[in-house]
Amino acid sequence: MSGSRTRTLLALGGGGFSSQPGDPALDDLVLDLTEQPEPRVLFLPTASGDAGHQVASFHSAFGGRPVRREVLSLFRLRDLRVPLRELVLSQDAIYVGGGSLRNLLALWREHDLHELLREAWESGVVLAGLSAGAMCWFEGGVTMSGGRAEAVPGIGMIPGSLSVHRDSEPERLPFYLDQVAVGALPGGWAVDDGAALLVRDLTVARVVASRPGAGAERVGRDGTRVTSAKEQVELLAGVTHAPSDPAVDELRALRELRRGLSAPR
Amino acid sequence: MEAGNPLLDAYVLGLVGKERPRVCFIPTASGDADHYIVRFYRAFSAASCEPSHVSLFRRDRGAGQVEGDLEAHLLSQDLIYVGGGSVISLLGAWRAHGIDEILRRAWMSGVILCGLSAGSLCWFAEAVTAFHGRPQRVDGLGLLPWSNCVHYDGEPERRVEYRRFVGDGMRGGYAADDCAALHFAGQELKAVVSSRRDRRAYRVEVHEDEVVETPLEARYLGLDEPVLAAA
Repeated sequence: MSGSRTRTLLALGGGGFSSQPGDPALDDLVLDLTEQPEPRVLFLPTASGDAGHQVASFHSAFGGRPVRREVLSLFRLRDLRVPLRELVLSQDAIYVGGGSLRNLLALWREHDLHELLREAWESGVVLAGLSAGAMCWFEGGVTMSGGRAEAVPGIGMIPGSLSVHRDSEPERLPFYLDQVAVGALPGGWAVDDGAALLVRDLTVARVVASRPGAGAERVGRDGTRVTSAKEQVELLAGVTHAPSDPAVDELRALRELRRGLSAPR
Repeated sequence: MEAGNPLLDAYVLGLVGKERPRVCFIPTASGDADHYIVRFYRAFSAASCEPSHVSLFRRDRGAGQVEGDLEAHLLSQDLIYVGGGSVISLLGAWRAHGIDEILRRAWMSGVILCGLSAGSLCWFAEAVTAFHGRPQRVDGLGLLPWSNCVHYDGEPERRVEYRRFVGDGMRGGYAADDCAALHFAGQELKAVVSSRRDRRAYRVEVHEDEVVETPLEARYLGLDEPVLAAA
């Protein structure tokens, strides 16, 4: 992969393959962004504690597509066949699942994975993620893992902050706006499930959605006043990668579950 | 929580010396794996204690999962049981949630702490983990001012590396075989017990520039086999 490629990140407000009903158009976009006929896609389920059901839905969603799939479990690093660095840097796309933002960042820092991911992004690997897996790249986000909303600093690779699940978890938005108002979080975006920010280099280049009505707003601060502006949303149309057959997917997920998920010691 | 062998679980419950003690399981090192949580509730059922667990990854409200004030809950326990898995992930997630400090306070206030594998390593100042492949050195919480190595009989590479680490400047400490347990009162080793025969622990330290390993016999917690009386 050449170093001159645009750095690319797709931040989903929610939805995607690990949710119901799923957003195949967003999953397809991740694949299209790689510009590879058969991209290598690595899934990181860290934020969920490597939950088996999340890993299974990854295999199920991407199993029907021309993709070389791999899963990185920080709880089962012993099973790695190649060194961590090599695994991360040899991907075309890296997809980060949702869960606890606080845990995600803590575990990445323990393993220095955030530095490796930054390197991958700089070398042109497409990064994608939803919920905690989307907020982590920004300067800060809103976590609900402790039961109530809290502002948490992220890796800070992308300037600004991000709040997710604007539509499905309505208690996040007012908290987010407050945090921006008092300066606890920098300005940024609040994004719905099924909508995503496409960040090229350090700029949000497009806001896309796989569900009609899903969108995002830009949140800023003017003195002590919060400003908010609706983003122009582009509804994703044609599915370019072959859609998957749910029955086949289910069988495949079952098989993966039986095969892949060994018990931790 | 050894399958089919409740001896160590019974021993640690016995230390509480109380009817129906409050026991909280912390499965962080496994990523809060469901099957592990189920195993805990099987081993520590409501018949013998008041069980609960703390999950740092899942917000779903499973039976027994603690909500609300984590600190108050942990400080009100009689026994806190930490499961095995990745000690590096365990310590990272604990620090992110301030659990490390809460557990220190719980220990100071008399709550009994216990755990296996990663759940043992974490209490010491230094430890050897091999969860991620090659054995490596890791800093623990330091409640016990020594180093620790587990699975001493089960994974020979650990033994070699632990002795090498201690020779290279890691503080001396204790190693334990599978099914053997080190029982500390305060920072003092009070007993070594085991749930199977012929398991032991070891004191590993530097003596006159040499790493010395001293076996510590474990008291087997099961019944001795009946001795056949000579006719």
